[in-house]
Amino acid sequence: MKIAIIGGGPGGYTAAIRAAQLNAEVTLIEKEQVGGTCLNKGCIPTKVLLHTSGEYQAAKKFESCGIKIKGIELDWAETQRRKTEIVNKQVKGVENLLINNRVVRINGEGSFLNKNQLKVKEIDGSETIVDFDYAIIASGSKPVIIPIPGVELPGVITSDEALNLTEIPSSMVIIGGGVIGSEFAEVFSAVGCKVTIIEMLPNIIANMDQDVVSTLVFKFENSGVDIHTDTKVVSISKSEEGLIVNTQSDGKEQSFSAGKVLLSIGRNPVTDNLALENAGVATNRGAVAVNKNMQTNVPNIYAIGDATAGVMLAHAASSEGIVAVESIMNLKPNIDFNTIPYCVYTKPELAGVGLTEEQARQKGYDVKVGLFPMSINGKAMIEGEQQGLVKYVTDNATGEILGLHISGPTATELIVEGALALRLEATIDEITSTIHAHPTVAEALHEAAHAVHNNAIHMPI
Amino acid sequence: MAEFIVMPKMGLTMTKGLLTNWRKKEGDTVNKGDILFDVETDKITNKIEAKTSGVLRKILVDKDTVNILVPVAIIGTADEDISELLEQAAGTVEKAAPQKEEAQKQEAAPAQERKPGERVKISPRAKKTADELNVDFNLVTGTGPGGAITEDDIRKFAERHKTKVSPMAAVVAGQLGVETDNIEKDTRIMKADVVKYKLDENLAKYADPQEYRLPMSNMRKIIAERMLESVQTSPSVSFNIKVDTTGMKQLREELKDTFKVSYTDILVKIASQVLLEYPMLNSTINGDEIITRNYVNMGVAVALPAGLLVPVVRYSNVKGLKDISKEIKDLGERAKTNNLMPDELSGGTFTISNLGMFGIESFTPIINQPEVAILGVNAINKEPVIINDEVVVKPMMNLSLTADHRVVDGAVAAEFLARLKEYIEKPGLLLL
Repeated sequence: MKIAIIGGGPGGYTAAIRAAQLNAEVTLIEKEQVGGTCLNKGCIPTKVLLHTSGEYQAAKKFESCGIKIKGIELDWAETQRRKTEIVNKQVKGVENLLINNRVVRINGEGSFLNKNQLKVKEIDGSETIVDFDYAIIASGSKPVIIPIPGVELPGVITSDEALNLTEIPSSMVIIGGGVIGSEFAEVFSAVGCKVTIIEMLPNIIANMDQDVVSTLVFKFENSGVDIHTDTKVVSISKSEEGLIVNTQSDGKEQSFSAGKVLLSIGRNPVTDNLALENAGVATNRGAVAVNKNMQTNVPNIYAIGDATAGVMLAHAASSEGIVAVESIMNLKPNIDFNTIPYCVYTKPELAGVGLTEEQARQKGYDVKVGLFPMSINGKAMIEGEQQGLVKYVTDNATGEILGLHISGPTATELIVEGALALRLEATIDEITSTIHAHPTVAEALHEAAHAVHNNAIHMPI
Repeated sequence: MAEFIVMPKMGLTMTKGLLTNWRKKEGDTVNKGDILFDVETDKITNKIEAKTSGVLRKILVDKDTVNILVPVAIIGTADEDISELLEQAAGTVEKAAPQKEEAQKQEAAPAQERKPGERVKISPRAKKTADELNVDFNLVTGTGPGGAITEDDIRKFAERHKTKVSPMAAVVAGQLGVETDNIEKDTRIMKADVVKYKLDENLAKYADPQEYRLPMSNMRKIIAERMLESVQTSPSVSFNIKVDTTGMKQLREELKDTFKVSYTDILVKIASQVLLEYPMLNSTINGDEIITRNYVNMGVAVALPAGLLVPVVRYSNVKGLKDISKEIKDLGERAKTNNLMPDELSGGTFTISNLGMFGIESFTPIINQPEVAILGVNAINKEPVIINDEVVVKPMMNLSLTADHRVVDGAVAAEFLARLKEYIEKPGLLLL
């Protein structure tokens, strides 16, 4: 069984290793470093920067914990060096895994010749033909550039460039207050940049539960980040100090000047150079169309991850990669895609899984919510991170857990309790009857579960 | 630890299964999920997967029908002692043996159920445990002295048959009044399984399916016997030919004021004449001999509410159309009032069966033994026909002949049909 995989991101390389485990002959085609957007331009490098900005903020508060340090300074060049080092280490790690699993890697750009062959234009200019029984398209995505006047101006950047800024700009306008925009707002505002977020929708991070998001909005507003929602960007122009972003909101025009303008309005699938038409693979607005087994209209060609424009998250892509490979190998893939957690690595961290309260109401559930604020969680108090809350969304008729939403310290780690609860179809009683360690932030989850029945012990009435 | 592989219960009503094929041999290494053996139930074959990994140590049942949950093999590690399991198995097989005879006599004997009235040996303590664990001890195989069921047997049975249920599935089951024990699933029972079970149950309740059983009437028994005998005796071939009935219709119109005849009457008359030209279609096979005749006894199929009779117009070849018509009418009426004499139902040499009045356009009648051919008559419909390159509307009818190829070859049958067609289209030929 010969499987060719186009793209070595978290979807592609996971698929490659799983296929190798199942004794397939695997060829992985990647034009850049393996690891894809996640490792090179996304999850990992942003988290390195967020770690630095978070520690920098924490260091400023050391005095309140009884530690006195004089002359706390931020060394941005060192931060960037550390980022590159971590990225390279992890890329190396993935490369070794691929080698250990005997995955053949070709460094080049693949395109389809027909339903069983790919042409790979290698970096050195040579061309290789790769025969395959099955192919998996994992070509990923790239940042969307909106067609407004001025986007071509120097200083207008996407997340790709924002990660590599050698200097901290004095000011930045972030167009698009989604997960990516909010994380960059966190990084740059924490290191002394004046940040303004322009969001077209009524809320930032619109896909997550707004009770949880509101804790981040509160923090942003109190740390000097300007948020302008319901605001549309009309154009970007040049000024003496830098750039001016011209916006419109409810008929009113307003302009914001900034040293840099970050476009973070979303990502588009990258499928243009794959010559999908040669294999007859159907697309839908640039995304490869797939069924629930990630199979395209061509039975021996699968597609996963951002290329399918589904849930654009690394852990979704890698799970889809496993589903694709196990389908190809005639196994029964068993992954529950209702358990995909959504995480934002700001301070407070945000995390959610399952339905938000609003989604649950729209679906017609008789929703019952259990809320517990971080401000009265002992461990959060000790850690000095009391912003946030925990929210269990349940169905009143059955007690079924529909969603869990957390903001606060280690929210992104704790969300697994909700994911597991959804996977096991737990009711809220399974959470209340499970002992949570003391003192932990996780106790807030326990209390939120009890709060569904108004039984939280530590809740002031 | 070594354990039994048992005949799985794959449906609510399944009580036993026919193990048809082992995919693994004794001594083979088996991985969880490997296909171990095939089980046939009704018309489907199920592939049974191994639930645990190990070495297939002993095949206890090879290609036989066994009740559900009866051990069919032992799986374990390569070198462990399985003598205890073998002993237990011997017990169950011994017990299964008389049950099997029982099952043959009495179709669908419930699984492992002892004969009505047979005492189940069970200790009071085991009985109490069975009550507590909600186990029907009638289904449990005893391993105690004399095959008595022990408390341990009950506990093991309950453990083996426990399916995991998700908390939500349990809640929904409670709300919908579904017993999760009734849901057949190897893996964890989820909410969706409970909902599906309830929907299936509701459908069954709404459809309220019933089946009724009645003894066959004597007539039905005879029809069943004869039809089966016929298809088993005659290698039959069916032939169809389209006939223009304009001439036959005209004949009927012309006679109408003098004497009313039916199309069947006319066809009996014509067929009786033509059969004399093709004696093979009017013959009977007797051992190595073929009996041919210089006469025709024409059977005319008559439908009755409870079945079908074929009274015979004797020597129809020498009878006039009026006599034939009267006789068919009389036989038909008496057939319907159950007043036919036995010899009026026997001695036929050929049969005509008319389904035209129901609009049938073609069918393959079954030969009335010991005859060798039967003519099916179909509906007359106006159809466009091309005559001299022009489309003309004609009343057309299909004739469906089934003939026994042992004596009637295709060409002969075809010639016979062509001749019939000629007579029907030009009934004046009857006068020659």
